[in-house]
Amino acid sequence: MAFVQKPQVYKSAINTVELGAGDRKIALGGATVYPLYSFDAPIENAPKIGVEISDLGLEGAPKAMLDYYGDCKTIAEVAKKAAAMPGADFVCLRFDGAEPGEGERTVEDCVKIAKEVAAAIDIPLVIAGCKNSQKDAQIFEKVAEALTGRNVLFLSAKEENHKTVGASVGLAYSQKVGAESSVDINLAKQLNVLLTQLGVAKENIIMNLGSAAAGYGFEYVASTIERVKLAALAQGDAMLQMPVVTPVASETWSVKEALISEDDMPEWGNQEQRGIQMEIVTAAACLAAGSDAVILKHPASVATISAMVAALM
Amino acid sequence: MAKFITIGERIHCISPVIREAMDKRNPEPILKRAKEQLDAGADYLDVNIGPAESTGVELMKWAVQLLQENFDNVPLCLDTSNSKAIEAGISVYNRSKGKPIINSADAGDRIGNIDLAAANDAICFALCSKAGVPADNDERMAYCQEMLERGMSLGMDPADLWFDPLFLVIKGMQDKQMEVLECIKMLSDMGLNTTGGLSNISNGMPRHIRPIMDSAMVAMAMMCGLTSAIVNPCDLRVMETIKSCDIIKNNNLYADSYLEI
Repeated sequence: MAFVQKPQVYKSAINTVELGAGDRKIALGGATVYPLYSFDAPIENAPKIGVEISDLGLEGAPKAMLDYYGDCKTIAEVAKKAAAMPGADFVCLRFDGAEPGEGERTVEDCVKIAKEVAAAIDIPLVIAGCKNSQKDAQIFEKVAEALTGRNVLFLSAKEENHKTVGASVGLAYSQKVGAESSVDINLAKQLNVLLTQLGVAKENIIMNLGSAAAGYGFEYVASTIERVKLAALAQGDAMLQMPVVTPVASETWSVKEALISEDDMPEWGNQEQRGIQMEIVTAAACLAAGSDAVILKHPASVATISAMVAALM
Repeated sequence: MAKFITIGERIHCISPVIREAMDKRNPEPILKRAKEQLDAGADYLDVNIGPAESTGVELMKWAVQLLQENFDNVPLCLDTSNSKAIEAGISVYNRSKGKPIINSADAGDRIGNIDLAAANDAICFALCSKAGVPADNDERMAYCQEMLERGMSLGMDPADLWFDPLFLVIKGMQDKQMEVLECIKMLSDMGLNTTGGLSNISNGMPRHIRPIMDSAMVAMAMMCGLTSAIVNPCDLRVMETIKSCDIIKNNNLYADSYLEI
């Protein structure tokens, strides 16, 4: 008997959220089928790839990455080069240097850097904070104000600061709010409810469901993303239909597979290659689980994941 | 798996206010009741125009358009014994938020409403009865079979027949309650959708008792697999019970604010 395909297409859809402005803006979400299931129905917006840069520059970056960025001196030059990376859909600027402590970057400095980066690129910009909720809320408010009209995504509003971040980023400056829930599926939904009740439109919310490097509790990340997609599509849950953005580089480049030198662990082989592989396998698994965008940093990983997405769409 | 579907029962011509509004084509009281029910979380609204033998066609068209235009094409349940009126209602019905529901067919005089549903790609409530209250579950299941076969022979998706076991009033038929629940379980085991007029069970009870009794019944019925019910969505206790049962059944992902959405 001939195989008769029964496409699994849902009546519900992931919300379409636009990032950036002008010709180079991108759209996340919009799917009515499970992640990468383009054989069930066309997927309007292929998963997107962001390239992460840090306010601390390229210090400590692996060799091939340094080679790629060449003699970039300023953050603007780095941003421009990141935006030009083959496969890049957006740039993510992370304020690692703003973490409270000695020599921390001030909010004013962050605004200055954000403006320089924004001026250097024409693809969408994502701003990631420094892991301190209070400082993040201050940075996000000022950067959102300074970059009004650029339609920037901010990562992220958390349980502790969602009111201030939602009110400034989402309401006052109509930018995009990332809701971060650290692999807590019920909190993921709750944050979306709270942001919505605050008045942030669903078209302005994305989810960061949390992240982990493959092998480091990643199965919780994957199953959380999958359950969210199931709720969004099969159960028509409007409070979980926001697209998912997963920062990958910030996790995978800080685990031992990426950090231990070849001298210390010769049987593991080339250190940079290991880092790239961690980044690629984690990103691929996130996309299979349902991330609508992943944030990477190594040019080799960006090239591989972009080729994978192109082949599957 | 899918969330429980609540059908708001408060646009009913038995209510003097609604009857008068329908007679005079006065939108305000109907819109007010519709809004109250939707704000309270109703998924569908039942529009009961009574038999309306002479005016049904025009009245149903008017009511369908009135409600859908004012409430973003809210899905409706067309409730009348006048099949011409149902047909007329469907002819102006917008399906963007859900198929129309025909309320209702049975295995007796009203079996033709299944044909009407099949011809119009509508959902149809199917009462497991022929004339009066079925004696037992053997009888209920025989009627179910009869209606299921009829619908399927006309090309209906079985999921579009929502079987109603007939909720019975507790005062007077207390000994029949477990049987109704068992019937829901049997229908559910067959993978069928189910519905019913829940508040029937508490008819004649004091006002303050009814929400308690209705809530207990809906929880037990959902345990048995009930997938929808015609309820008063303005009854907070019943709605909170339904939402809580949906969480326990994993039909809806929990969030601390689940009662507010």
